[in-house]
Amino acid sequence: MLKVDHVSVKRGASVALKDVSFSLAAGKTLAVVGESGAGKSTLISAILGLLKPAQGSITWAGAPVRLCRPALVMQEPRSAFNPTLPLRHSVFEAVKARKLHVGDARLDRLCKGLELERDLLDRRPAAVSIGQAQRVGILRALIAAPSLVLFDEPLSALDAVTQKHTAKLIAQLQKEEGFAALIVTHDLGYAVAHADEIAVLKSGQIEEVSTPQDFAVAPKSAYCRVLRDAAIALGALEPAE
Amino acid sequence: MTLSAHGLSVVRAGQAILYPTSVCVSPRDRIGLVGASGSGKSTLGHALVDDLRMQGHVVAYVPQSPDEALDPLWSMAFHWREAEKALGLRPGAADRKTLFSALKIEGGDLRKRPWAWSRGMQQRFVIAMALMGRPNLVVLDEPTSALDPVVAAATMQLLDHCLRESDTAMILITHDLGLAARHVSQLMVMDGGRIVEQASTEDVLEHPKAPASKALSAHRNWLALPC
Repeated sequence: MLKVDHVSVKRGASVALKDVSFSLAAGKTLAVVGESGAGKSTLISAILGLLKPAQGSITWAGAPVRLCRPALVMQEPRSAFNPTLPLRHSVFEAVKARKLHVGDARLDRLCKGLELERDLLDRRPAAVSIGQAQRVGILRALIAAPSLVLFDEPLSALDAVTQKHTAKLIAQLQKEEGFAALIVTHDLGYAVAHADEIAVLKSGQIEEVSTPQDFAVAPKSAYCRVLRDAAIALGALEPAE
Repeated sequence: MTLSAHGLSVVRAGQAILYPTSVCVSPRDRIGLVGASGSGKSTLGHALVDDLRMQGHVVAYVPQSPDEALDPLWSMAFHWREAEKALGLRPGAADRKTLFSALKIEGGDLRKRPWAWSRGMQQRFVIAMALMGRPNLVVLDEPTSALDPVVAAATMQLLDHCLRESDTAMILITHDLGLAARHVSQLMVMDGGRIVEQASTEDVLEHPKAPASKALSAHRNWLALPC
């Protein structure tokens, strides 16, 4: 289980995260939502160990998070790969660096789950569609069997139909692989449809952690109501009956 | 005055990416140009803006990200003056105060460069520049996709309010049918470089005919789909 315990992170003189606490169990999905600058990406950097908390601790099963091989899926799929090399190179770079062995059977199974032809990995990023590139990004994240996958706006570069298809594939793979998923997103419709819990960040602090139903129907704080209403105004959520 | 462009087509590297297409827009029209990535929405938007400008109409364009419209090296005041010059207006002729008030950017310091403003303020400033010449038509290409939901919803609401006060028509380019459903009355659905369906928003949402419209309609809302 991921445990973020009273974590504060400073960026220069300012405090980017203030006393943030939550937990995320294996196989579960937590969506982290909030306005730009709320601290969502800082949280991902802190979990990955790229930023050191000034206070508090972040652990997976009581040990440092890096030991559970956390993986990251980035927002902009094409720029997440080296444009001069075939996708296969980027997918297996981390596997080689960790001296892991990935058998053909696993690659086949993940490719099948993500609806990717294996030959596609021989192409360069510019030669695949943006939806395919994002699915290769997910393949790269999952190839080393991580216990925790962090998704930073994984669907925002995709069109509406591809977004939903990719989300469905992520959910199916999560069922099979059992990884915990922390998804940072602006898309409250996605959060409500796919997450087990939604954490709302505001100015570096957790405003509310609730179930999708509670968030959509009866958000507790005034700010969460503003977020929910914005999602309705943008057509991402339907008004409650 | 109705604006019309006929036979717009675009070929890149010998491949047609926009087949001959005609578009008519009446004052106060609110049209959504929707379709999947690569369907030709932005290409048609650019071709339409170019053609109508060549006909002498005042047509404004708001890109997806304010980064595409604002030079990080120059102050916001410089951008405003440049836009006035481009429209042939004398300095200060555009009613900046009213536009800034309508779009809620009065507090922004024009002496500062774009990066000193928030993304939402930058995008609303770009919309204010687009509206300063009282255009016949404003084309907005995914205007809210770079914004967080609260800022995006506020921006669309302020834009609706601004346009209600004028005869300016709007074409909203988006892949998000949920967003289009809230803000436009007609939809043009694109697929493979062609407009495959054109009807009222309600008709496209409730009784889509073309396969592309059916796919968009079915995927317009996360909760409409089985997880």
